[in-house]
Amino acid sequence: MLALPLHDLPTRSASGFLIRYVVPRTGPPQLVGPLDRKALFSTLAVGDAIIGVGHGDPARFSGYRDQVLLDVSSIPDVRGKVVVLISCQTARQLGPALINAGAASYIGFLEDLVWVMDADSAATPWSDKFAAPAMMPIVNCVNTILDGKVTADAFVVMTTELMGNAAVEEDDLIASCLRFNAKNASLLGNPMARVKARPKVAFPLPPPPLFPFMP
Amino acid sequence: MANAEWERLKEALRKPATPEAMAEAAQRFREYERVKRLSGKPGSKPTLVSLGFRKDYPTQIAVRDIPGELERNPAFFEQMRKIVGED
Repeated sequence: MLALPLHDLPTRSASGFLIRYVVPRTGPPQLVGPLDRKALFSTLAVGDAIIGVGHGDPARFSGYRDQVLLDVSSIPDVRGKVVVLISCQTARQLGPALINAGAASYIGFLEDLVWVMDADSAATPWSDKFAAPAMMPIVNCVNTILDGKVTADAFVVMTTELMGNAAVEEDDLIASCLRFNAKNASLLGNPMARVKARPKVAFPLPPPPLFPFMP
Repeated sequence: MANAEWERLKEALRKPATPEAMAEAAQRFREYERVKRLSGKPGSKPTLVSLGFRKDYPTQIAVRDIPGELERNPAFFEQMRKIVGED
């Protein structure tokens, strides 16, 4: 399952990269924009992975317009699933709670996930050159999982690419954000967990239409 | 590619979040931004964002507005300390 809200600049930036580079490899359910709601998220247990973008804190992960989708006190059936939460701080409590509830593996962040984006790219977030050094390592992590490789490999892809991008980044603020994210990335559960491999997609596909951005 | 202005900003962010330290950090960030603009690396509308949930600091702020927020918001100062000051 993919949960990809688009209601503000950070969700639009992160979801935009996944919509461009991950969604074409996956099947439904894909909860994009206004579809990323608690009522749908909680009732859909199909699939072997949950990949979500959303605002978060130690105990909660949210969807469209910050509806809480996952909470340590009410975890849906995640048994055997690989969970990737592109969010803030969920590795502190929610990640461990997901593993305790039977998730095979979890990747997320202990602190805020921070990056610099170009607000003028909100209509085509995947073309944002400021955000790419932070978002492409996350995209490549998710795609490594969808290649059928173990989550430990995917985690290494993400952290190595974040640090590599920081090393060559000329903007100090962007570089600090990249190192901060790499330092706070977290892998919990079984590092040998994997999902069924999805077919690779030859890029570039035509970019998808997005819900208009209405700040 | 750290420069002297960036290093001075990091030092300012390592101080306790007093009004004086916050004002100093804001000034250091303005100086860093000025040097960056002069070095010919302007952006379209660079914006610092995060996926924090119901925070005491903005989860999206234009980079040009960072000094003002550093000056008035201790929670944002602390967040910038974690990202930049402890880098």
